[in-house]
Amino acid sequence: MNFSRKELVKTDATMNQMRNSIHILASFMEKNGVSDLKERLRKMGQNIAKTYIRYWKPTDSVNSSNLKDVITTIYQKILNSSPSIELNDAENLVKVRDHNCALCKYHYDDIEIAGCEIILGMVSEIISLINKESNGITSLIFEPHEVPESRAYGNKTCIQVYKYRIGGRG
Amino acid sequence: MGAFQWLMKKITKVFGRSTNALFYTLLYREILKEINEITKKEEDSLIILREIGKRAAYESCERHSNIFKFMPGSPKKVLDYFEILWVVVFGRELDDYSYEEIPKEGSKYNDYIVKISKCPLCADYGQDNEDTFNFNKLKDKKTEGLACGLCGMLESVANFILKIKRNDYRIQIVEQACIAKGGDCLQFICKIHDYKSWEKLMDSRSKERNALKVNFGEYLEEEDIVQETKLDIIDKLQDVISIDKLEEYLDEPLESIKERVSDIIRDKLNMEPDHFFDYFRNYEDDMIKIIGYLGTHLLNEYGGLLEKSLKNEWFSKVFGYIFRQLKEMTLLFIPLDVIRDYNELLVSFLDGLAPPEMVDNVKQFTGRDTINYLFEGAQMALENLGIEFSELKENVWEELKKERENGLISSETTPIDKTRERVPQIISIIQEILMIFNDILTLPIRVLISESHYGLKTAINSVVSEEEGLYGSIRERFDKIFDQIEEIRK
Repeated sequence: MNFSRKELVKTDATMNQMRNSIHILASFMEKNGVSDLKERLRKMGQNIAKTYIRYWKPTDSVNSSNLKDVITTIYQKILNSSPSIELNDAENLVKVRDHNCALCKYHYDDIEIAGCEIILGMVSEIISLINKESNGITSLIFEPHEVPESRAYGNKTCIQVYKYRIGGRG
Repeated sequence: MGAFQWLMKKITKVFGRSTNALFYTLLYREILKEINEITKKEEDSLIILREIGKRAAYESCERHSNIFKFMPGSPKKVLDYFEILWVVVFGRELDDYSYEEIPKEGSKYNDYIVKISKCPLCADYGQDNEDTFNFNKLKDKKTEGLACGLCGMLESVANFILKIKRNDYRIQIVEQACIAKGGDCLQFICKIHDYKSWEKLMDSRSKERNALKVNFGEYLEEEDIVQETKLDIIDKLQDVISIDKLEEYLDEPLESIKERVSDIIRDKLNMEPDHFFDYFRNYEDDMIKIIGYLGTHLLNEYGGLLEKSLKNEWFSKVFGYIFRQLKEMTLLFIPLDVIRDYNELLVSFLDGLAPPEMVDNVKQFTGRDTINYLFEGAQMALENLGIEFSELKENVWEELKKERENGLISSETTPIDKTRERVPQIISIIQEILMIFNDILTLPIRVLISESHYGLKTAINSVVSEEEGLYGSIRERFDKIFDQIEEIRK
């Protein structure tokens, strides 16, 4: 009897080789004419989220009061990261600073793309799917915004920025 | 599983960057899907995924090449240590596997078939809407399956080890059965090639890749590259300190270990053991210091971890204080009888290897002398590696006071909270280390008692069995320590 995906949620695996694989994949995609690389990586993250949420989710509903906790839980449980999170209410942005990003570590000269675009896609999709299921009127619309800094770009940390709107069924 | 094999697995696992295993599996799936978006042909996608795996693992191996110097250098042994390869690549234990040897006439090495009953990559594959890579579209049923990327990684790591050990043989690892493809287990075939047949294989792989209608850039031909790096201390010693050799040494009685050491000195240094030790006659204290010195440098050979850590001023200071404290406390807390036992063990080891005069001189040392010399050697090595012992304060509290006044310790609550969260783990680690210390205190007398008849391992396991004896107890404690370290690293 093989593993089930539910069982995998309870264990860890080492990302070192996969992290390198992401860079090699991105480079392969670029060489073969994929122009919307960033969107493709985010799409990968969204697909991961769609499957992942069937086996684990941090909560049943996300709103402005538990947003930071939900993000922290997702990062800790899935990525084994402990990022710092800042909410910018004026611009409706959430800035996540991860010193130990699971998908970026080394600076590559040949391609300007951060592996954590995948994380951006995954986290926003998890939150969107939770709220879609909960259907609450105070829920958030959560979207990927940008990765302004990344260890893959030569920065010391990765910063993933999300955009949110409070809008219920939106 | 041998002690060193176990330790190697633990170290590799603890120092990797881990995530949740389901995230790993799904990311792997997405990579394959993205490749397939480009190739539009399932067979080609699997070839590309294997190449990506190979290249990714090679990149990682190059960054941490020192770890692999401890691995055995013969292809057969590399396969014996398949579990370690798996942990290096995947970072998780290999659950329930078996392998059989397939005789291959006219060849130095046989083929091996490895069967793994549980494959994390294939877990529940096909049950979610996003599992869109369709294995039914494969026309050639001999094509590899979902684990081909993993296969590329394993092959790359195995061949990196052989390359770094300057071995001319190479290993080909091919996925033969895949659960996602309908197989009942994950099955690899491992074939060992000499240089010529490996060249042929590389040629055919190259043709296969050139036939693909995609651009992969330059393919990795790492196996052809002759290593021309400068030899470091581990390179020089790797023939005698690889994990398979260390396992063998542990199985030998003390007399056999002495014989082996003699052979190594004859073989590597071209001199008789008593001539070698004669160089240290009347400098026996220096010899013991060298043991402490080399021991510390050997520790640092694991990826230069110690040296890198000590570059951080704060860590260097903390380590310096702990070392100094340990030096003082060792003599306070370890009974002198126990230290004497260690001294006797050293004398027994040198007896017959070194000139009698030298053995007599070592006998004159008290246990306290030996410990002090070892610590002096280790301190010299730590100074080389970056600890400024002369700059340390009288005690750690004065250091903290000074740093607070200078405002160098952050007053932000977050890091403090994080540290506070880690306190239970740190306490557990200290507790386990103390218990190991206690266990080890009883070791020399066991070795001395069993030295003439049994191996060191027998002495270590002398209580009941490997699991329940001293070895089992120490291993269990290390398991707990590694678990706590993993927790702290999360």
